[in-house]
Parts: sequence; structure tokens; C-alpha cells
Amino acid sequence: MNMGINVLGLVAAFTAFLSIWLGHVSVRKVEAQTVNLWKPTLAAIALGLGFEIAALFTASRALSLVFGILGVTLLWDAFEIRRQAQRVRKGHAPANPANPRHAAILAEPNTHAITYDLLNRDPVGRMVDTDEAFELIGRSSR
Amino acid sequence: MNLFGVFVGIIALFIIGLGFPLVIQGERRFGYLWWPYMLGIGILIILVSLFITSDWLSAVIGTLGATFVWGSTELKEQAVRAELGWYPFNAKKIKPPFEAIIKKWKAPHL
Repeated sequence: MNMGINVLGLVAAFTAFLSIWLGHVSVRKVEAQTVNLWKPTLAAIALGLGFEIAALFTASRALSLVFGILGVTLLWDAFEIRRQAQRVRKGHAPANPANPRHAAILAEPNTHAITYDLLNRDPVGRMVDTDEAFELIGRSSR
Repeated sequence: MNLFGVFVGIIALFIIGLGFPLVIQGERRFGYLWWPYMLGIGILIILVSLFITSDWLSAVIGTLGATFVWGSTELKEQAVRAELGWYPFNAKKIKPPFEAIIKKWKAPHL
């Protein structure tokens, strides 16, 4: 019986973890910096599809799965860029006043957008109201 | 043509997608202090993948393990989201074993 170790699972795990991490960080950065979101969205779709095509033409199973997983996470990121913009609008992610697109959202009457990250703290174990949510991140109010 | 990578990629997309309800429900029912257990489960699943002879199954199980590892780093932020009312908050969570020790550790966040 062959009891060899199959490293493909490990390769898949590393690829998935690193590409999720990279996507998670880049989507936030790119959305905050970019004025026209269709540009990075299109780039992510093109790159994602490119990796899937590369996966099809790679003989090595290890490399093929690296491309396959990288490709789908990039396609997901394209979708997440849009979701990140909605988070900013709701105040669930910080707006960047230096970005004209965010500045316009911040200037809207009755805007929910804020420039602080309400998630940047440790949990306290109970529900908090708006005032306390700001106190906990070291702000007296919005 | 090698369909292997695309096939694994599509399954990976669904498994990573399952990470969202995993983190949301896990945090709601158990709380973020379970993060070391979730991390451990993820590492264990990845170790199991090493002993699976089928290439595609090994890759899929490896991705599942990575999703648990990633999920463990998302629990803390999810706990804050629930405290802010962005997700339903459950005050009666199931406490993890060795809670006092885990509280002294810094929960990972990437």
C-alpha cells in the first residue's frame, strides 16, 4: 500500500489562505484609493479569468490548482470591491476624505459614512450604543 | 487541457463562501474566544489532507482547512460587528474551555 504524503492539500491551503488575505487587504486599500471603481473591478476580473485560463494550460496539478484558486479569489475580489464601497457608505468601513468619491459621500446630507474604523478595537462582550462605539475607539463623537 | 486547477478553484470558491456563515454563526453561538480551537481545527484538517491519496479531494480538504484558519482570524472583528448591532448579538454564548487563559492571548486579526 502506498502511504506517500500528498502535498496538494497543503499547496491548496497555502494558496487559499494567502490569496484570501491578499484580497482582503487589497480590496480595502484599492477601494479607498480609487475614484473610478470599474478600473480595479475590470482588472480583477481580467486577471482572475487569466489565471483560470493559465490553469487550463498548466500540466502540473500543483501549479494548475494554484492558478485555479488565485483566479477564483480574484473574481471574488472584483465583487468585494463593490461590497466594500457599500460598507463605506453605511459607515461600516472608514471613508477616505482624500478620495473625491468618498469625500462626496461624506458631504451628502444625512450621510452614514465616517472616517474612523469602528471595528478597530477588542470586543467588550455586550452591545454598545453609538456614543460608546466611538469612545471605545478613542473618539468622543463622530 | 488540464481541468484540475479550474475544478479545484470552483469548489474552493464555494468552500471559501461557506467561511462567511461559519464565522457569523460561530461567533454568534460560541463567541470569538473560540478562535484557538477554530485555528486548531483548520490546521488539523490541513494535516488530514496530506494523507488523502486522491489529488482533487486532498486539494479540496486543504482549502477547507485554510477556510477554518482564516475564519479564526475573523472572529474577533465579527464579535465587534455584533456588539455594534450590525449582526444579531447573542449574550448567552457557549464559553470555550480554558477561557481565562485564552483571554490573556491576543486574538489574531489580519
